Amino acid sequence: MSVVNPRKPAPRGKHASQGGWKRQAAYLTMVLPGVIFLLMFSYLPMPGIVLAFKNYQMTVPTETSLFKNVFLNSLVMSPWNGLNNFTYLLKDAPMLIRNTVGYNLLFMVVGVVLQVGLAVIINEMRNRKTAKVYHTIAFMPYFISWIVVMYALYAMISFSGFFNQVGATLGHDPIKYYSQKQYWPWIFLLANIWKYTGQGSIIYLATLTGFDEQLYEAGAIDGASKWQQFRYITLPQLMPTIVMLQILAVGRIFNGDFDMFYSLPNGSGTLRQVTTTIDVYVYDMLKKGNLRNSFGYAGAGAFFQSVVGFVLILITNKIVKKHQPEMALF
Amino acid sequence: MTTVDRKEAKRLMKAEKEAAKHSMARNQISRGTNLLFNILLIIFCILIIFPLWIIIISSITSESALTTYGYRLWPLEFSTNAYTYLFRDGSIILTAYKNTLIATFAGTVLSVITVGLYSYALSRPDFRFKKFFTFFSFFTMLFGGGMVSYYNMTRSVLGLKDTVWALFLPMAFSAYWVIIMRTFYQSTVPEAIIESARIDGSGEWRTLIQIVAPLAIPGFATVGLFSAIGIWNDFRNCLLINDSAQYFNLQYTIYQTMNNLRFLKENASRMGGVNVANLPAETFRMAMAVVTVGPIIMAYPFFQKYFVKGLTVGAVKG
Repeated sequence: MSVVNPRKPAPRGKHASQGGWKRQAAYLTMVLPGVIFLLMFSYLPMPGIVLAFKNYQMTVPTETSLFKNVFLNSLVMSPWNGLNNFTYLLKDAPMLIRNTVGYNLLFMVVGVVLQVGLAVIINEMRNRKTAKVYHTIAFMPYFISWIVVMYALYAMISFSGFFNQVGATLGHDPIKYYSQKQYWPWIFLLANIWKYTGQGSIIYLATLTGFDEQLYEAGAIDGASKWQQFRYITLPQLMPTIVMLQILAVGRIFNGDFDMFYSLPNGSGTLRQVTTTIDVYVYDMLKKGNLRNSFGYAGAGAFFQSVVGFVLILITNKIVKKHQPEMALF
Repeated sequence: MTTVDRKEAKRLMKAEKEAAKHSMARNQISRGTNLLFNILLIIFCILIIFPLWIIIISSITSESALTTYGYRLWPLEFSTNAYTYLFRDGSIILTAYKNTLIATFAGTVLSVITVGLYSYALSRPDFRFKKFFTFFSFFTMLFGGGMVSYYNMTRSVLGLKDTVWALFLPMAFSAYWVIIMRTFYQSTVPEAIIESARIDGSGEWRTLIQIVAPLAIPGFATVGLFSAIGIWNDFRNCLLINDSAQYFNLQYTIYQTMNNLRFLKENASRMGGVNVANLPAETFRMAMAVVTVGPIIMAYPFFQKYFVKGLTVGAVKG
């Protein structure tokens, strides 16, 4: 009769430290549900990227078809289309890239100044309690959906909206914001500042509070003013974080905030030139049922975004890794 | 002798600390700058609250006052009709509310379980395939199949079109949360506890459920809240996957309502027969936005700290 000794030492050998197969099996069952989700919603759509090179035609599966699903069958059966889908994309490309990259750069530059500013101000405030209240309020918009923001925007800028009411009391004619392009870059910028300044400042605030207090004391003893302390102690220490976060943001420069660009203009067609980013374009294409091969054209936009985005992330990550390894993504 | 020395040293250290405290107190921004900062932040906070204020105020204004005087800072004629109407008639918004509540609840539970399990395995140094599964989840943050493929796969291949499942399954798992949760396990659950449980004969599952999970509750809360907010605020998945109003969530329902409103108003003159006065009330719409965002704003002060934690971990590695 053998009694299993619970204190039996781990089996020796190459994988002694990694435990037996029983333990590995337990770990594998733990990752299984997550693997299923990743397969369904992330990996399954990946092969669909070939749509970019297909002349998509709906093909109903027959008895002999490999795939019984209409989409999968059509994806396989549709003829290749070379680079034609991209040629089609080309005529809108300057506008799409200008909007997507332009807005992203604008948001990055304005965002970093305000976020760092907010973090520093909150960190310096004499009364910690009120500083916390301010930060709590500033962080709140992060949790409010763009659709609710769209409602707020409507209440402010529609024909009978708040701004036009104020304008009317000052004797101005009402402005039709929803059909005038020149206002929209500003509206997007303000909306972006409103939503993300508080959230963006969190990482800077966390970095700031980790700085060595003695540096500031030494500075103060040497007669450095608070401004000088900011300029010569805080900023240089914060710089690596700022630069790295910006480089990482460049890696996502072709990805726009779809919900914002799609919802805020409230479906106004006249604004198309200044509100269509790559994501919005892909969605609009996708929904153009009357256009033959609309999936192929949309696929070309999606391909551009995915592949160029992927390459950009690899490059930016490499740069970050070289200068600031602990901030690199991988 | 030595005890006296130790006491002396302690006293000295205390004095030093106090001195440091004093010098810190002196190394503050001046009262004037402090006042300026306060003013700046008060203005900033007013600007943050203002858009929400306008929605709330217009939702408690009478319809006739809103039509005549437009959107104001203060209700010219107070009325709660919009809310009465919202909950009496309610079919659209109540369906959307029900769908969103089911999706949020189911999705949050699912997220905590799947992410909690996945990241625990990744946090274990003795998991032989740790590297592979870390990459397997991380890669999804870098590359995707694009919206067109996603649209077709979820609707037709996975068969989620016009189901409540579409409102939470696609958002239940995220590589970003895996990173947060793994870091959480690594930094708050001491290796020694797991080791000693193992010596006592506890299997991996039992260790996780009985020993590790109670310690990781703040981490679960962070993941659960990220998931809950994501599902509550989801617009894109519903837009892409569901076509039938019966399965719309809150955000998409109110999006559609607003879109129709602006369209009708702008084209009312062109369409001749339509009388703008007969259109569904604007106060009613604003009330819809208020009940959509309400629960989040109410709960926000309580869950805020979990997000701060999650974002500080995730901002660098996310």
